[in-house]
Amino acid sequence: MKKLLSLLQAQKDISGYRVAKTRTVSHELFFVHKKLETVRATDTVKYLATVYVDHDGFRGDSSFAYHDSLTEDECLAKINAAKKRALLVNNQMYDLPAGGEYERKIGSNIDSYEPEKLGAMIADAVYAADTVEGGSINALEIFIYNDTLTVVNSRGVNKTQSINRVMIEAIPTFTDEKQSVELYEDYRFTEFDPEKITAEISEKMREVKDRLTAAKPKVPLNINVVLRPKEISSIIKELANDLNYTSIYRHTNLYKTGDDLQPGPDADKLTVTMKGRIKGSENSAYFDDDGLDLTDTVIIKDGVVCGNFGSSTFGQYLGVDKPTGKLPCAKVKPGTLDSIDGDYLECVSMSGIQLDLYNDYIGGEIRLAYYHCGNKITAVTGITMSGKLSQVLAKLRLSSKTDIFKAYEGPAYVVLKDMTVL
Amino acid sequence: MPFSAFLDGKRTVCKELVAELKKTFSYVSILGVDTGETVYFADKALSSVSESESDRGFVIKMYNGRSFFEYSLDDINGDIAELASKIVSEVKIDPSLESRMISAGAIADIPMKKDFLRENDFGSYEDDYLLDFCKKTSKKTVEADEKVLNGFAVIMTYTVSKLFITENRELSQCYGWANGAVMAVYSDGKMAQARRVAASDKLADIIAKMSDDQKGLIDLARHLANAKQIKPGVYDVITDSSITGLIAHEAFGHGVEMDQFVKDRALAKNCVGEYVASPISSMHDGAAATLSVASYFFDDDGVLAQDTEIIKDGILMRGLSDLTSATELGTTPTGNGRRDSHKRKAYARMTNTFFLPGNDKLEDMIASVKHGYMLFETNNGMEDPKNWQIQCTAEYGIEIVDGKLTDNYVSPVVMSGYVPDLLKSISMVSDSFEVIGAGFCGKGYKEWVRVSDGGPNLKVRVKLG
Repeated sequence: MKKLLSLLQAQKDISGYRVAKTRTVSHELFFVHKKLETVRATDTVKYLATVYVDHDGFRGDSSFAYHDSLTEDECLAKINAAKKRALLVNNQMYDLPAGGEYERKIGSNIDSYEPEKLGAMIADAVYAADTVEGGSINALEIFIYNDTLTVVNSRGVNKTQSINRVMIEAIPTFTDEKQSVELYEDYRFTEFDPEKITAEISEKMREVKDRLTAAKPKVPLNINVVLRPKEISSIIKELANDLNYTSIYRHTNLYKTGDDLQPGPDADKLTVTMKGRIKGSENSAYFDDDGLDLTDTVIIKDGVVCGNFGSSTFGQYLGVDKPTGKLPCAKVKPGTLDSIDGDYLECVSMSGIQLDLYNDYIGGEIRLAYYHCGNKITAVTGITMSGKLSQVLAKLRLSSKTDIFKAYEGPAYVVLKDMTVL
Repeated sequence: MPFSAFLDGKRTVCKELVAELKKTFSYVSILGVDTGETVYFADKALSSVSESESDRGFVIKMYNGRSFFEYSLDDINGDIAELASKIVSEVKIDPSLESRMISAGAIADIPMKKDFLRENDFGSYEDDYLLDFCKKTSKKTVEADEKVLNGFAVIMTYTVSKLFITENRELSQCYGWANGAVMAVYSDGKMAQARRVAASDKLADIIAKMSDDQKGLIDLARHLANAKQIKPGVYDVITDSSITGLIAHEAFGHGVEMDQFVKDRALAKNCVGEYVASPISSMHDGAAATLSVASYFFDDDGVLAQDTEIIKDGILMRGLSDLTSATELGTTPTGNGRRDSHKRKAYARMTNTFFLPGNDKLEDMIASVKHGYMLFETNNGMEDPKNWQIQCTAEYGIEIVDGKLTDNYVSPVVMSGYVPDLLKSISMVSDSFEVIGAGFCGKGYKEWVRVSDGGPNLKVRVKLG
């Protein structure tokens, strides 16, 4: 990085530069059934450098990949090529983020463990849930990461943040003499808690056992559908993407400030805050890849669009006084629901929730759900739900209990009213 | 486009490192990677030409007759004996896991020394020409109709150099691929985005495809802005090549990735030799099966590219394997070992996956539908190889009534069901054939690699919602 920075600083005919460096060190274990198949370790660095050239009243920029293995001549050739390219780019002027030197760590207890030891402890915690007769964990992948991001620019930014994080991919499976079924579990954390891991996998083992007996219910159904954080986070992410500065500047956004997403009295109103950090989330950050400090921002309040968020450049293009930065996390205010009345489908596993804002669509294939009908609960599969997003939002109910999933913190479940299930 | 000078200069140290690590492991390979992508982009207000993040480094794969070990690093230099010692130390495991390793057979290290090169025309085009083309295409799109809010044009050139070294093997390959896209953001009371994609190993093809049929793109945008939601139900469906490819990919491509066989995660493992699809359907995968985005010469395990017949006349013939899964299963690897980057593990992955053409004419297929839909353009899909459920989302569909395409567009269209039901419902296969080399595929929710898929038009009966 020193070589790259000194070459960039020596360029007289550029207006600025930025370098983002990410170092990732990992320890990875891959199990097949309960046997260790592959052990991996990585220690890699990636750089993305950008040069800015002001010309003819415009700002041009161009980025290039840098590697420590480049010779000085190769690096200079890349800088010169980027300068020429920047001269072809006639974009509206904007400023780079200015000032700020610090080094911070995202809170985690993971760095207190040796990676090899931690890997073994995580494997033990997962397989501690593999105690159900007929059940098994057919595959387990454990990734223990340490990521360090450093951003330096020509206006005095020099910031470093690091995070220790773990990702587990586990495949709980249940088999009888007739068939075998599985569920996919993707579990991420920054705080190691073996009991929580075992409890999480145990819950999936219980659910996969139910998938074995799940049957297709009598369809079509018009019914309330309950979603969990994985699917809720996808919905919130889709709404948030629409409210990003980039979407607005590029005219691809559907919603604008003041739009009421939940008209009428029937819904728990959404309040969504985009955040830099959520405790326990691997997406947490102090600054973005431009080196801009992140400012938490409310984008939807009581169901009404009230804000936007995004990068320094697109924020300036929109005339925003203080851009928020590329906020990675979303926090949703909990609702009022403590229990669910009436019949409903509780989705356990979907192929992936499908949202299309332009076409007012929400739906997707349900791999496993619990059908709560009167006092009876049955496992169901082989069904697809669909509905109009606007109608769903207008009657959306949010739980008072909260949970965290990846970059989402908010209601542990939501109720979508009157979905068509086929 | 020459082979990477960086990798070329590492042949000797790679061999030295292999020799050093062979003192500890029975099999050692090194994959060197040097890839790059340049993106040219323009919309109504902005433009850019930049390299996106490239991948340059090495991954060393080691096998001790029991488990596999891998170490990824950016460069191989300095004291090789010291580096080998560090690598051995970095892949050590906790003693409690030592008794839990797998056990598999020996890996054949078949001697071969070969350099592969596929020429392209990327060097014939200057940056200013390509960026100017994108700017003009964007402008033309915006000016085509007052209801167009923005027009995007993008061209991406992707270049690959890879070096593979073992004790007996020294392979290198160098090739490129290009993608392009034009998109119109349109508002007619309701918003819509219409896009046209192009993929080829020649920029000349990309430029030609992005240049033509501006009227068609805007016409599609207009229809999409007026598209309705489909009434959920089971319909007769005609697929375009992209949806055919999506079915091939999600329905049976993932299901025959043989690392899933090792984990007992694929139902297909028990169905080799059985009918899994209509007898008029045949499906292939392979880097050597056609020329598209996943057409490499050897895979990331150093296995030469192949053309694998997955389904022949409705019968499941064989699966796709990487070196690790083939070693565990005692089979021959099929050249499907692929990595997201040098930082990631190799898995059994699809390459170019497609159904073979049949004998029917598209017009006859449409004419045979009393009421149904023709589906166009892949949006996304999700596999479920263990339980054979499938979800494929098309950007849009056009209603067919009494054997004729109407002007009624529906969007989006989510197709779902049970894989054997879907594949056995194939009743007509067109004589046309197109493979679209513009896709990315994840395994679960990670490990992204470039793939193509496609084939002819199919007539199927399936649930749409």
